[in-house]
Amino acid sequence: MAVAIQLDNVSKSFKGKKAVDSLSLTIEQGTVVALLGPNGAGKTTTVSMILGLQQPTTGSVKLLGGDPREISVRDRIGAMLQEVSVVDSLKVAETINLFRSYYTKPLPLDRLLKVSNLEGERNKLASALSGGQQRRLGFAIALAGDPDVLFLDEPTVGMDVSSRQLFWETVRAMAGRGRTIVLTTHYLEEADSVADRIVVINNGKLVADGTPSEIKAGTNGRVISFTAGSSVTTELLRAIPGIDDIEWSQNRVMLKSADTDRLLINLVKYGIEMRDIEIMSGGLEEAFQTLVNK
Amino acid sequence: MSTTARATLAQIKAEILRTVRNKRFVIFSIIMPAAFYFIFTSTVGDNTQVGGTDWKAYYLMSMTTYGVIGASVTSLAVRIARERSQGWTRLMRITPLPGWAQITAKVAGQGLLNLCIILFMFLIGALVKDVNLTALQWIESGLWIWLGAFAFMSLGTLLGTIRNVEVVQVVGNMVYMAMSIVGGLWMPTATMPDLMQTIAKAMPTYQLGQGAWSIVGGGAIEWMGVGILAAYVVVFMILSTYIIRKQEAV
Repeated sequence: MAVAIQLDNVSKSFKGKKAVDSLSLTIEQGTVVALLGPNGAGKTTTVSMILGLQQPTTGSVKLLGGDPREISVRDRIGAMLQEVSVVDSLKVAETINLFRSYYTKPLPLDRLLKVSNLEGERNKLASALSGGQQRRLGFAIALAGDPDVLFLDEPTVGMDVSSRQLFWETVRAMAGRGRTIVLTTHYLEEADSVADRIVVINNGKLVADGTPSEIKAGTNGRVISFTAGSSVTTELLRAIPGIDDIEWSQNRVMLKSADTDRLLINLVKYGIEMRDIEIMSGGLEEAFQTLVNK
Repeated sequence: MSTTARATLAQIKAEILRTVRNKRFVIFSIIMPAAFYFIFTSTVGDNTQVGGTDWKAYYLMSMTTYGVIGASVTSLAVRIARERSQGWTRLMRITPLPGWAQITAKVAGQGLLNLCIILFMFLIGALVKDVNLTALQWIESGLWIWLGAFAFMSLGTLLGTIRNVEVVQVVGNMVYMAMSIVGGLWMPTATMPDLMQTIAKAMPTYQLGQGAWSIVGGGAIEWMGVGILAAYVVVFMILSTYIIRKQEAV
């Protein structure tokens, strides 16, 4: 598969402090990648370098096979950046049309108004829109050139629940048509439901890379919980192999394990008294916390 | 037409739309110069002689220059500052519109607006105040003011590097008013004390006005004035390039 984005040993220092540290990353075309990490982890700096807004101190960045500052590359990308407000004194349709004029194969205005759910606001001044509507206008602008690679930096901040739903539906539909999408978000459930691949960055370094289920499984495994009979004690459970952690809440016990299938067999073999058995996979939230707190 | 050419035209249109929808622009660059023109021609007298010409012709040049400079300095500076503070400049850098096309569009858009201000003021002078100039004088003075105004766009760009839009608004108006008064656009320098007259001659505002006053008085443009204006452009451009480089070097 063709490569959309390639970072080769990229570092970026600000006044001697490394914001991004020897990051190597290859993103194939047609994938939806979520870049996760705590505040100040280097996500926005990484995105800025991929977009050519900042230059790496060392290492190289390639976007669609070229330098991100080339006009021919910029014709094929679109982005929703953070801290970008709307241009003053222009109406919604005027703003979108202005951006459409920059690209060689723009999407039709009506379609952009539809996917951003701004059909009713087309003749309103952009500055008169609500915060969430302004973000949606930013989305329409990002899509104006029918981009092959779309960057979404914290896209849903300020959107209400229904806008958010429509937004992710549109993003998913785009991904289905072979577009590459790179997103950063604070809402982990959004990353979980939308991304094919999750890249976790902490202190400027890559700490995990994989599908959402790989990330979840690789870090804290899964949990078996059951209501224990009166004979069950912590000492008894400690003797059973394959348990990483034991937690009690009244007479319900939760066992963390990397391989819950095998553990279940062992629990039966040891004759543990169990009722109401549940097996749960750990959430992305938990996996994420484990990764960044290492 | 190529995409870049089409995009540049769309950009020019957007710049003009943004400016004419700005009430401050309409008040400061169109209504105020016209109002001042009517007030000061009626108090001083239309046909009082100043610099070898009728006051109504002399002051028409002053106020046209005043309006065009206001548009080139304040409204351009505020537009640039607003784009920068709202992250718009950053977003533009990832679009395929080249940087030079964005600058061209700004300058061309402002140039067209300036042309409209000049035509508007000249029409008031000719039709309402009966200012009597030869066709060549109208064209020469209009063209001189129009071309000279481009020099003030470099000052607008320089002020636009200030990060805070409200500060730009205030500083822009202060610089513009001070330069206009000291440069003799409100009242002729002939009415000023000697020291003020010397200071006035160093002002770019005076130099732009002087060319036009000279044309309507039957004289010609002095190369000295052109030189002083050009020197200001060079200084403003070097300063703003330096500041922008520093701000972007992160």
